[in-house]
Amino acid sequence: MFIPYSIVNPLTTVRIPRRLPRPGEVLVRLGEAVEASRIVAQTVEPADFCIVDVARELNVPVKKVKAYLKVGRGATVSEGDILASRGGLGGQVCRAPISGTIMGSGRGRLLLEAEPRTVHIAALVPGLVVEASPTEGVVIESTGAFMQMGWGNGKEAFGKLRVVVRSPRHPIRTKHIDAAAQGAILVGGLHFDEETLEQAIAMQVRGMIVGGIPPSMIPRLEAVEFPVVTTEGVSTAPMSQAFFDLLRSLDGREVSVSGRMRHRWGTERPYAMVPMPARGAAPVNPETPLVVGSRVRVLRGPYTGASGVVSDIPKGLIQLETGARLPGVQVDLGGKEFALVPFANLERLL
Amino acid sequence: MTDERTIESILVADCGTVFTKLLLLESVEGGAAGQSYRFVAQAETLTTLNPPWNDLSVGVVNALEELEQITGRRLYGAGRLITPQRGLEGVDAFAVILSAPEPLSLVIAGLVREMSLESARRAASGTYATIKTILSREGSLNSPQTTWSRTVRDIAPDVVLLVGGVDGGARRPVMELADAIALAASMLEQDQRPVVLYAGNAELRPQITKLMGDITHVEVVDNVHPTVDTEHLGPAQTALEQYYIEGRMNAAPGAETLLAWSRLPLLPTATAFARVVEYLCHREGNTDRGVLGIDVGAATTTVAASFADRSYVTIYDKGVAYGPLEWVQDHGTAPLLQWLPDEMEEEELLVQLHNRVLRPWTIPQDPRELWVEQAVVREMLRSALDMARPTWDPGKVNVLPGMLPGVDPILLSGGGLVHMPRPGQALLVTLDSLQPTGISTILLDVNRAAPALGAVAGLKPLAAASAMESGTLISLGTVISPVGKARPGEVVMKMRIMYEDGGTLNVEARYGDIEIWPLLPGQKATLELHPNRRFDVGLGFGRGGKVQAIGGLVGLVVDARGRPLVLPEDPERRRRVLHGWIWDVGG
Repeated sequence: MFIPYSIVNPLTTVRIPRRLPRPGEVLVRLGEAVEASRIVAQTVEPADFCIVDVARELNVPVKKVKAYLKVGRGATVSEGDILASRGGLGGQVCRAPISGTIMGSGRGRLLLEAEPRTVHIAALVPGLVVEASPTEGVVIESTGAFMQMGWGNGKEAFGKLRVVVRSPRHPIRTKHIDAAAQGAILVGGLHFDEETLEQAIAMQVRGMIVGGIPPSMIPRLEAVEFPVVTTEGVSTAPMSQAFFDLLRSLDGREVSVSGRMRHRWGTERPYAMVPMPARGAAPVNPETPLVVGSRVRVLRGPYTGASGVVSDIPKGLIQLETGARLPGVQVDLGGKEFALVPFANLERLL
Repeated sequence: MTDERTIESILVADCGTVFTKLLLLESVEGGAAGQSYRFVAQAETLTTLNPPWNDLSVGVVNALEELEQITGRRLYGAGRLITPQRGLEGVDAFAVILSAPEPLSLVIAGLVREMSLESARRAASGTYATIKTILSREGSLNSPQTTWSRTVRDIAPDVVLLVGGVDGGARRPVMELADAIALAASMLEQDQRPVVLYAGNAELRPQITKLMGDITHVEVVDNVHPTVDTEHLGPAQTALEQYYIEGRMNAAPGAETLLAWSRLPLLPTATAFARVVEYLCHREGNTDRGVLGIDVGAATTTVAASFADRSYVTIYDKGVAYGPLEWVQDHGTAPLLQWLPDEMEEEELLVQLHNRVLRPWTIPQDPRELWVEQAVVREMLRSALDMARPTWDPGKVNVLPGMLPGVDPILLSGGGLVHMPRPGQALLVTLDSLQPTGISTILLDVNRAAPALGAVAGLKPLAAASAMESGTLISLGTVISPVGKARPGEVVMKMRIMYEDGGTLNVEARYGDIEIWPLLPGQKATLELHPNRRFDVGLGFGRGGKVQAIGGLVGLVVDARGRPLVLPEDPERRRRVLHGWIWDVGG
């Protein structure tokens, strides 16, 4: 039976894909070493455009529009420039609704396209370019502490990691966000409130890593400019101890945070990575079997988010509170607390 | 290649959005005539279509290894499935059904919301497709062509289904839509341009082809709404399904490997499931009742119905894991919260829905999570049924106004229903959401094997039929649902249950209650029904009679809660009632 996993590892080697949202240009070579801030690829976003119905605006037949045009295909115009005019008594003009270039004409209409916008993709993590597709993006291999997150708001950044709470059960509060928080990526245990978020925006923090966020805050968090990622998904539960302990041990180091989400058909998971100047660290092995002693996290039920080690794998079925009987394990959560968890609600921590 | 007559073993891979399941069928008697087949083993693992694997066949190989451990039989060697069977190794045939690939991305463009656009929607519901947007004038005098073009360009769908105008009807507004779509397509890279499926005014076919033929691939099919009062969905549905098979299923990473092991083309799971429902309809041979099949998956809910010579399949693009959050955006949380027998804040419900998307393979571990899961199944089923019902022509089947046509049996499949801890819970959720009328047997596809049987039917119909008759579908019981209105507690039907062993039981059903009487799996009884004059059990108001009933895991059920089912508005009272119903069905 395959048990899903999350990586929460102090020293490992990972391959981070940096893909363009649409075909573009890769700016680095295979084998090249890159810093986190290095732009590795770029593409052009489709420009805004509009169809200008000149015949209708000048109130002339389609066939006669050509005679009134003041611009031709390829012409660059600014918003408000005259595109066509009809003189004489009651003359009319047709003006450009946006700035851009005339890309086509026909049937009494002009197609006006705005200037396209270039989108840049940074490396985000320092490392070596190990794959490079000329038009799609690159894959960067990097070594360091790596943590796969549960939820993210789609944003990315890197900065100094600052753990501002004492335990995974403590939320970030406004008092934690002082001048030293500027440019930092803050770590808290529980979810935070709106006031704390506004303070974080005002103090220009670079990102936030917390246990969970309540569903009501998702629209607001998706609108902020910096990454917010959670270890436990959408939740009001505290951060899993395994994640908190690792983050605390990395306090003060540079961290790269990606809040890009794995959607239903998507490809990515949010993560936080603290690069280390080490070489040869082994990548995690997803085939690592689940045995007594394996580190695991509980994904549902009363112990959601709790991490511990497998203390027993019973041969028979375990009985859940719902009445269902399923194969599962006993997890030692520490502090003499044990939980019976079905395989379906278990995650290996690698 | 193995001859059909010599097939001793069949393996079916069912690759769903979350789980990949392997089911092994074997001939149990051998020989030729009199051969019958049984499911002998199954294995399940996570589907591996998405990262980090990006290969469907990895999940199938994982499941093969698990199946090898279960059966002690070698199935996989030299990097491929061993086929044909050699002694105790390998299998004779392999079939694959798929619902894992991403649905077709579809934009519908048309004129009148209640006519051609509604028909286009129904045509799209016959395959795995997500309607990204609908383009229409919406009563505006001018065509918002820039907006239409921008929308199509930004979405870059797989297919634009262009409809509108009865044959010989509207021309200009259809051409304006075509114009905008052509412009959008021309702005996209060649490999991103959508296929345009034209199913509108037949007279415009040459102009549409001329306008768009040089820009993108245009396929012309019969008008989905050829006259004001007729609908013709078949050709558009067939074309859309073909795009899904070619563009999504065959192109899925790893599909090529699976195709190389199989002697059959890949089959959409919903199509395979519909075959089983059609088979049940033929087996029953009732012209006065249809057969209904429900498959509740993680990402979709499939409704398959068969009435005499007509069969229908509707795929609602929401399941128990993927979809409820979007559903809540349209309907709010109140319809889900109303089904919970314990008080719950909206936030707790939403947390669960969000995390179900993040971890779709997980299962409810405590009762509160279970109630939410069951509430989701109820509402997804209701929405799927609302979408399916207008497409049906039940022929001679009795249909009371606004009610589900008489169907018997009702087949329940898919993890959303089958994974419920107690059979009574699956039954109650079904009754609450489908609200059947008259007399129906409820069959539970406990091993979620029904779609696999549909695939087997394409290879060896005898194997599918014999496996189905050999206990794959377990009866939950016979349900009698009298239709009518009365005061709570009023007797709506008297019933005499005459068991095969000669024992009889005289019982009454009271309005507002669910009553369960003992009738064990495999046991049969004759029922003498006497509904009061304001109630109909499918034989006409006040008309009773003798009917045969078969038992099941729950028993003989009388759902006397009335149709349509109305929940008490007062939250406290409603929760008490819900707890009562759960208690009644043994949940």
